[in-house]
Amino acid sequence: MEATSYTQLLPIIILGVAFFVVTIVMLFWSAKKGHLRRFDAQAKTIFTEEEPEGEISDKFPESSKTTRGRKKNK
Amino acid sequence: MSNNSQIVAPAADPYSSAKPSERAELSVIDESIRTPSIFFLISAIGWLMIGTVLALMAAFKAHEPDFLGAYEFLTFGRVRSAHLNAMALGWGSNIIFAVGLWIMARLCRSPVDHKGILMIAGVFWNIGLTIGVFGILRGDMTSVEWLEIPKYATPLLAVSYALIGVWGVMAFKFRKGDHVYVSQWYILAALFWFPWLYIVAQAMIIWFPARGVVQPLTNWWFAHNVLGLWFTPMALATAYYLIPKVLGRPIYSYYLSVLGFWALAIFYNWAGVHHLIGGPIPAWLISAGIVGSVMMVIPVIVVAINHHMTVVGAHREVWHSPTLRFIVFGALSYTLVSLIGSSMALRSVNEITHFTHFTVGHAHHGVYAFFTMIMFGGVYYMLPRLLKREWPSAGLIRIHFWGCAIGITIMVVALQAGGWIQGLQMNNASIPFLETVQNTIPWLKARSISGLFLTVGHIAFGINVFWMLFAAGAVRAKNGPTLLHKEGGVA
Repeated sequence: MEATSYTQLLPIIILGVAFFVVTIVMLFWSAKKGHLRRFDAQAKTIFTEEEPEGEISDKFPESSKTTRGRKKNK
Repeated sequence: MSNNSQIVAPAADPYSSAKPSERAELSVIDESIRTPSIFFLISAIGWLMIGTVLALMAAFKAHEPDFLGAYEFLTFGRVRSAHLNAMALGWGSNIIFAVGLWIMARLCRSPVDHKGILMIAGVFWNIGLTIGVFGILRGDMTSVEWLEIPKYATPLLAVSYALIGVWGVMAFKFRKGDHVYVSQWYILAALFWFPWLYIVAQAMIIWFPARGVVQPLTNWWFAHNVLGLWFTPMALATAYYLIPKVLGRPIYSYYLSVLGFWALAIFYNWAGVHHLIGGPIPAWLISAGIVGSVMMVIPVIVVAINHHMTVVGAHREVWHSPTLRFIVFGALSYTLVSLIGSSMALRSVNEITHFTHFTVGHAHHGVYAFFTMIMFGGVYYMLPRLLKREWPSAGLIRIHFWGCAIGITIMVVALQAGGWIQGLQMNNASIPFLETVQNTIPWLKARSISGLFLTVGHIAFGINVFWMLFAAGAVRAKNGPTLLHKEGGVA
């Protein structure tokens, strides 16, 4: 490849740089807004009254066989 | 500091606020996004089935070239490309729109407005994709891998996607509370990255083709980043939301999760160039791609530590949760496939794996064992909460899991073992090329067998979903969105 033809790569290099700059700007914004502090408290924000911390919220559905067995025992 | 205190102060948290006007109930949010999410889920399953049939055809043709050989529209090149697009844009993107946007709505803590935008986008996305896949089978496809959809169908896809991106930005803009959970970072970033990638690649390769090596460079920048900056962040967002959610314990280290996100955002963009190692590309550019690929070890190890440490001591609960069974399988696969991917970028390894079935195995390891398994897990958590119904059959869930887990394991092992041997033989000048091709046949047959396992799993999944959707009378109704701990007790 001749040295002059390297200019063909310019568009993709510019895009790569732009991509990188956007990422850095977002990182700066998140730091400024305080998203990079008090991590432990932030980790708990997904828990709610309906789906609280400390409770398992998913399991296999009970088969009809198991349900019937449980009813008999009662 | 004032900003910081606002983010985590309980009074400002719409989840725990005592005032009903401030509190966003998850059940209300789930209700608000139910119709679009179910539409995308049904579309995704439809494409999963179509993609599976096309995959089986392509897999059988690889060792039985005469299979369906009399039909022009079912030649290997067309069927294989139709399979790729049906799976990537049909199954992959539709399931992202179903699960990812549902998680986004929940984390924005606000009932969904403008769901009409999502429905319009969803309808046009699937029409565009149908035209595109038919176009590929008709023989109109482009010769660019991952961008095979003919030119006449892509504007529809771009407009549909733009509508979804606009919805995502609006949901984020009008969220309640200031906090941004790590899953939101991943989803928001992916919603921003994918249109960038797609539009740039379309412009520089299809609409205004760049000259020379810039085309393959753009092609692999796009193709690799679709995996790393579209599928990966969406799957990681799902895992980061659902692993702690199901177990009822916060993620092991939130600090590491943020570090992992930013490392992915900064390094992944460079990685695609490693597909062109050995090609007529400036050496420094390939070296930069290799460095970016190896640097990806940082976010991968960070995510691995976080996901795996969160489930330590709770393996029984993981096994008894359909959601986590799939998601933990996907998380383990992410660690493995990413480390293998980084090593494949090294020149000494790449000279063996390049142009072999090893790469095909690696792609399926990432898109299926990691991404698809996590999204299956997401559906198992999401759908009962959207419909307020229980899954009708535990047996079908087990068949789904084992069919997919066994199938994808056979596929990855067969293609990577076979591909490695193929690479060594191709580099050995004393072995005739035809012999290297013939030696791959047993491995390709193993791939076809793996496809049958996957098909069984997909059929079980499809039956369970449609049974749940359309046979409501047969399914025990539950009271609320948090179905299982309220009535059934913990696992």
